[in-house]
Amino acid sequence: MIRLRIIMLSCFISFFTINAFAQDTLKLGIPLPLTGTNAKFGEIEKKSYEIAQDEINSKGGIKGKKIVLEFEDSQGKPEISRSIVERLIDKKQPVIFGEYSSSSSKAIAAVAEERKTPYLVVTGATDDITQQNYKYVFRMNPSNAYYATGFMSFLKAVVKPKSIAILYESSDFGTSGAEDMVNQAQKDGIKVLVKEQYEKGAVDFKPILSKVKAAKPDVIYMVSYVMDAALLMRQIKELRIDTNLYAGGAAGFAIPEFIENAKEASALVVTATLWSPQVKYSGAKEFAEKYKKLYKDYPSYHGAEAYSALYIIKDVLERAKSWKPDDIRSAFKSTNLMTAFGPVKFVDKEGYTNQNFMDSIVMQVIDGKHETIWPAKYASAKYVYPIPKWKDRK
Amino acid sequence: MKKLLPLIIFAILLIVPLMGLSTYVMHILILVLMWSVIGMAWNLLGGYTGQVSFGHAAFFGVGAYTAGILYQHLGISAWWGLPVCIVVLTVLSLIIGFICLRLRGAYFALATLALGEICRVTAENLVDFTRGNLGILIKERTWVEKTWFFYIILLIAAGTYIIIKKVIESKLGYYFVAIREDHDAAESLGIDTTFYKTISLCLSGVLTGMAGVFYMNYMGYIDPSIVFPLYDLSITAVMVVMIGGVATYWGPIIGAIIMVFLAEVIRSLPQIGAAHQTIFGIILICIIIFLPNGIAGGDYLKLWEPIKNRWRNKGTSL
Amino acid sequence: MAQLELFIQTIISGFLLGGLYALIGLGMALIMGVMRIINLAHGDIMMIAMYIAYGLFIFLGIDPYISVFIAAPTLFLFGVGVQKYLLTPVMKVESILPHNLVIMTVGIAMVLSNLATVFFTGNYRSIPVNYASSAWYLTDIWKNSPIELSLSMPWTLSFVIAVIITIGLWIFLSKTDTGKSIRATAQDLDAALLMGVNVDRLRNLTFGLGCALVACAGCLFIPIYYLYPSLGKQFTNIGFVITVIGGMGSTNGAVIGGLILGIFESVTATYIGMGWAPVGRFAIFIAALVFLPGGVASILRRKRLGK
Repeated sequence: MIRLRIIMLSCFISFFTINAFAQDTLKLGIPLPLTGTNAKFGEIEKKSYEIAQDEINSKGGIKGKKIVLEFEDSQGKPEISRSIVERLIDKKQPVIFGEYSSSSSKAIAAVAEERKTPYLVVTGATDDITQQNYKYVFRMNPSNAYYATGFMSFLKAVVKPKSIAILYESSDFGTSGAEDMVNQAQKDGIKVLVKEQYEKGAVDFKPILSKVKAAKPDVIYMVSYVMDAALLMRQIKELRIDTNLYAGGAAGFAIPEFIENAKEASALVVTATLWSPQVKYSGAKEFAEKYKKLYKDYPSYHGAEAYSALYIIKDVLERAKSWKPDDIRSAFKSTNLMTAFGPVKFVDKEGYTNQNFMDSIVMQVIDGKHETIWPAKYASAKYVYPIPKWKDRK
Repeated sequence: MKKLLPLIIFAILLIVPLMGLSTYVMHILILVLMWSVIGMAWNLLGGYTGQVSFGHAAFFGVGAYTAGILYQHLGISAWWGLPVCIVVLTVLSLIIGFICLRLRGAYFALATLALGEICRVTAENLVDFTRGNLGILIKERTWVEKTWFFYIILLIAAGTYIIIKKVIESKLGYYFVAIREDHDAAESLGIDTTFYKTISLCLSGVLTGMAGVFYMNYMGYIDPSIVFPLYDLSITAVMVVMIGGVATYWGPIIGAIIMVFLAEVIRSLPQIGAAHQTIFGIILICIIIFLPNGIAGGDYLKLWEPIKNRWRNKGTSL
Repeated sequence: MAQLELFIQTIISGFLLGGLYALIGLGMALIMGVMRIINLAHGDIMMIAMYIAYGLFIFLGIDPYISVFIAAPTLFLFGVGVQKYLLTPVMKVESILPHNLVIMTVGIAMVLSNLATVFFTGNYRSIPVNYASSAWYLTDIWKNSPIELSLSMPWTLSFVIAVIITIGLWIFLSKTDTGKSIRATAQDLDAALLMGVNVDRLRNLTFGLGCALVACAGCLFIPIYYLYPSLGKQFTNIGFVITVIGGMGSTNGAVIGGLILGIFESVTATYIGMGWAPVGRFAIFIAALVFLPGGVASILRRKRLGK
């Protein structure tokens, strides 16, 4: 009898201690594509979230609670992201953030708005996510239309092209990136000579590249992920297509793998990007170096987005009057934070709701690595322009 | 008792939403019902009429896009897709039938596979019409809670079950099975095989299309890679029926339950989650070798035989 | 002039691509001829060969072209095993639907591609060999040429090796006993049995051979493309499109079919738009199925009979 009571008492006590222990942690689920075609970026973001998590926890966590991140694999499919988020909302997670691709972010945004739970878009770039007048969706990364602002100013100031050829992959990201470039080009008086979409994973780009060659554009602009980007440049080199500038619309062109896989063909290729390890925002360089020490390469801008996202969440949760959805929402609206990714402020402007606007920058592959070249205030190296013809290289 | 079983199950399903289950479980049940519809539709064409299609994604996707395009371009509720898709999908089935039904066996399977892929790439490229890979997003789904969605898909599933049962038990059903068993013999007996195959295809297509319309309304967001995928839809449809039981009424439903539950359960497991397709593949292989007619196909009795014999006659059998 | 250059370059690209496609189609045509099944795991077997070549390069520094000699026999044995333990048992089982063999290959394809994803992760990999973007240029040889044409080095090498392998196969099929037995079985199974051909052993051999051929194609593809676990699907599609265009089971047809497909895709990409390229592939497939069910082989046969 006494043994039974002792057992019951210890259960009682351990229950309370476990509960008390549980009260000290804040579990946050994050949907990410950990398998599937976007697994690489999902991994970069996961690693970056973890770095931020360790930093925040070592300084006491959020309101005294340690953060525990639980990553859920969406396999890059919007329906799975959606059911992950539905489950998180069922479990009463106060705020949702995460996901990489535009289509998954779009699907989650719709759910979050429906179920009135705030959602922070971290990487999804397609414009229409914040053009729907959603009250609960906040986007920290610039939308596709603003990806290339730095790049366009580089074109206007240095390259001064009269024509452009645009090649893009048939995804959400590629299609909206291409549309935005067409709009920008028309505004700046640059003629769009070729606009071709291709399906990801294509083996032979030579037919459309030959078409581009025949059109003789001043700039070749490509919106691709890394392997297509590498293959495109390699086949451009093979066909000896000369132009004034080869440019990428971010993503595939902005990560080290592009240089590894395209080798000499990647030299002097320029890309629009949102962030580089050389920007002067506070925390940027430290984050980049920390990531490089752990994982041997600099993080892409997606890593910086993920890292900063967790800091934004921390800031919002600490400023919110309570963790009820509407209070968190007001805290989001009044955000004014400098992060490693850049300044974050959610405004309603030009048809976008709760969107953060930032300068974008331009990188160029010089001597086998990405250097920031534009705008000058962020530059780590001088841009190389004009570029030599293929025949005259090396 | 056996006759009442379907009714009992239907009655139980009717009160499920009132049981206060979490949204997640409701979501799983809705998926099971939707896949049951797709499976039963495929089974009509494949299991009963013997025309194995690897391209059912075409019907599903066109159904989903019918609903989506009505919403996007005409501004009306996507639920209008249900009546409209009957027309659209009949036309599509007639076209597909005209091209493919003259082909036999594996050629038919491949042709449907090709047509499914053609639909997908077409949807991707006709950006002005379908918004390509930007997808169609329904800003406000009809309901936020799952209850009414559940009832609608339950209705569609029950309707499909009844329609198929009635068809198979009628003369049409005999013609279908005759075509499956021996196409030429059926032809020589005076059965207009092309006509009946076409009916089977149209019915199968329309029912799958309705599942597609439902999907558009339920998920609220579609794009070509979501609704026209080769593996995730066409081949999964084949698996659902092959695992569950070809040419049976309950086979596709059992298959749907297994596939959806397995998919969700395996996906959430930490390490093995990524390997869920391997597990499906292995299950498929095992089913083909040991239970070629699926779980409900009655083969398990055959498997049981040698074990039973050894038990009884200790040494006489095997 | 630019239009002429564009046209010639398109045709060259198409031709080179077609040669490689033909190698993939050959393997599938052989399997289809003897076993009458469409091996939907074909592309995934190619993927495995590519990963083997990749591993050999990373760990032993072996050039992909040399890896052909290692990957092909390995996958030959793999193919024999698959046929013996997975496919033949299914052939003996009675079932309502006769398509079980094809669906079995689908299951195998799923397992292969998914296992590859688990073991190798979804990361794209490539072997950036030194000659990866080298090419021979017309202007280097003919200094004042009005147009510039380039012949990519790795593409051409792969094409040449593919041709050599195809010729080797042709010799095997027409001059050796085993080869003739394969053709006999493909023509008429019962007659072959009556003639004393060990059909079971032959099936294993043929499947193995088909796998070995596509393994060669894989190694030849590595320098010009890249590697990821799910690349199998597109090559399986290419495989059966070629087999149908060429004529089920005909190896000569597969070669011609491959070239036709390569050039057709190239031309479609240039003049209609690259986004439509997959549609073009499937459209020609369906056209062949509907209008020319015997494929190119039937045209060849008609010509031969007509003499």
